[in-house]
Amino acid sequence: MIIQQLLNGLIVGGVYALFAIGFTLVFGIHQVLNLAHGAVFMTGAFIALYSVLGGWPLWAGFLLAMLGSGLLSVLIEFGAFRKLRKSGPLELEFGAIITSIGAGLAIMAVAQKISNTQIMRFPFETMPVVIFEFFGLRVSALQLIMAACAAILVVGITAYLYRTAFGRQVRAVAGNERAATLVGVNPNFVYFQTFFMSGALAGAAGVLVGLAFNSIHFVMGEPYLLRGFVVVILGGLGSIPGALLAGLLLGMMQTLTVAFLPSGLTDTIIFSLLFLILLFRPHGLLGKPEAGAMRGR
Amino acid sequence: MLQLFIAYQPLIDLFLLHSGLALAQYLVLRAGVFSVANAGLTAIGAYLAAGLTLKAGWPPALTMVLGAVAGMLVSMLLSLPLARLRGVYQAIATLAFVQVVLSLNVYSESLTGGAMGMNGIPKVVSTWTLLIALAGTLYIVWAINQTRLGRAFDAIRQDETVAASLGTSVRYYQTVAFALSGGIAGFYGGLEAFHSYSIEPSRFGFEFVVAILSYVVLGGRRSIWGPVVGTAVLLALPELARPLAEYRTLVYGLIMVLVMGYLPRGVYDTFVEYLYRRRIARMDRAAMAQSQGDAP
Repeated sequence: MIIQQLLNGLIVGGVYALFAIGFTLVFGIHQVLNLAHGAVFMTGAFIALYSVLGGWPLWAGFLLAMLGSGLLSVLIEFGAFRKLRKSGPLELEFGAIITSIGAGLAIMAVAQKISNTQIMRFPFETMPVVIFEFFGLRVSALQLIMAACAAILVVGITAYLYRTAFGRQVRAVAGNERAATLVGVNPNFVYFQTFFMSGALAGAAGVLVGLAFNSIHFVMGEPYLLRGFVVVILGGLGSIPGALLAGLLLGMMQTLTVAFLPSGLTDTIIFSLLFLILLFRPHGLLGKPEAGAMRGR
Repeated sequence: MLQLFIAYQPLIDLFLLHSGLALAQYLVLRAGVFSVANAGLTAIGAYLAAGLTLKAGWPPALTMVLGAVAGMLVSMLLSLPLARLRGVYQAIATLAFVQVVLSLNVYSESLTGGAMGMNGIPKVVSTWTLLIALAGTLYIVWAINQTRLGRAFDAIRQDETVAASLGTSVRYYQTVAFALSGGIAGFYGGLEAFHSYSIEPSRFGFEFVVAILSYVVLGGRRSIWGPVVGTAVLLALPELARPLAEYRTLVYGLIMVLVMGYLPRGVYDTFVEYLYRRRIARMDRAAMAQSQGDAP
């Protein structure tokens, strides 16, 4: 029973990790909290749903959702962050929070209009229900696909950032934008890439969550945004392996608390945990101490 | 005139309430604390005031003051751990606090009424009460700015290291700012409870945090008129765009993106700066004209 719960939690955690890696990537590189990330996640689910309703196969909808939400995220960077970045670090820190919330609200308003404020579902046959049993553990085909997608995307992003020349440019801008510009890196291209990757990951997470819970509505991103905070802080703000580890841990913890404790207390426990981590280990499990919690402004 | 007032009374009430809450938020930001805990503190004030009046029959005036005291005490407790954090990390920690308060309010059903909240709260707060409360809040915040306290806040916000090296105790002043802000937030919680007949936990969640924070940042974080102007702009603009009522949230979101992108220091502070620049330019021209007049 416990092992089954842990397994379920691991799969949910993979989706948390997908969502949180995009969030932490943008923070690690641009020092900006992108609060429109939840709206991008929701957009991914919407795009996949409407392409399936339009008669496309699910895999095409999935790719289209990643492409669409990646582009949306780039648009958010262009519209909400680019001007502020030129105004100075203090203006960016406060202003980016407001502009990204505004962008998120605008996106959600459009989604609300499109969906008529309704909760929507994928058509019945989109994802056939197939259950496999291994050693007494029950795993559905959907869960396997979720785990595989999460694993492939996480490995792909990590390889991209740490094994390719493009990834080196991204990390150079994260370290010092001015110095990177001096050696010939185009920072705007780097912003384009990171926001695209971040958005595409959020979109993929949105499709997977939409399939798993089969409930798609315009505010579905908000709880994930709040959970995303927990994951990125637990893993260390800006750390990608940290976000992966923390996402898996949070997923398992959540299924365990839901299974064994009064259900109303799940949020209390998760957010108290967030508060405590910030107090005792603000740089998280895998973040570096100099990452910024104690830095003055 | 009276017609107009009656037609817009709900909007005016909302403006007065939210201006006060925005001033409380302004007070912490001014001292360089990036806290969004006020939503939680307002919830505590609202629940305490409404609960004591409904269940123990205490007079609303007394319970509202108790709500303010509770807000102040809780924020002083919170300031102890928060002193270790800075910037975005403070914001996330206080957001966690808001979520904990919200989920506990939902969970402890016997005490708070759970997700349905409390109903049948007597409405004792009128527009005039709100007006007097806002005037009082403005006076308090203004008075703080005139004293040593306000100057210390400014110094800490502008450069914490310099402030500390000049002998300003960062921790002490931030705790004071936090406590004052928490007191105001708790008091406005009571006002909100006695103004709107009912309260429920979800009202004091993430959306509340977003609304109040955007009033202050959009209005301007330096002058005390910034938060008030920000509240007025964000409440009035969607109202002016009545033909677009269907797209209210869309308009609201776009306002936040555009105003913040073009006026990153906030509407009011940018306006003040513009006036100042213009005065300097005029004085320059006058001086130039005079010196040319003297020359021949």
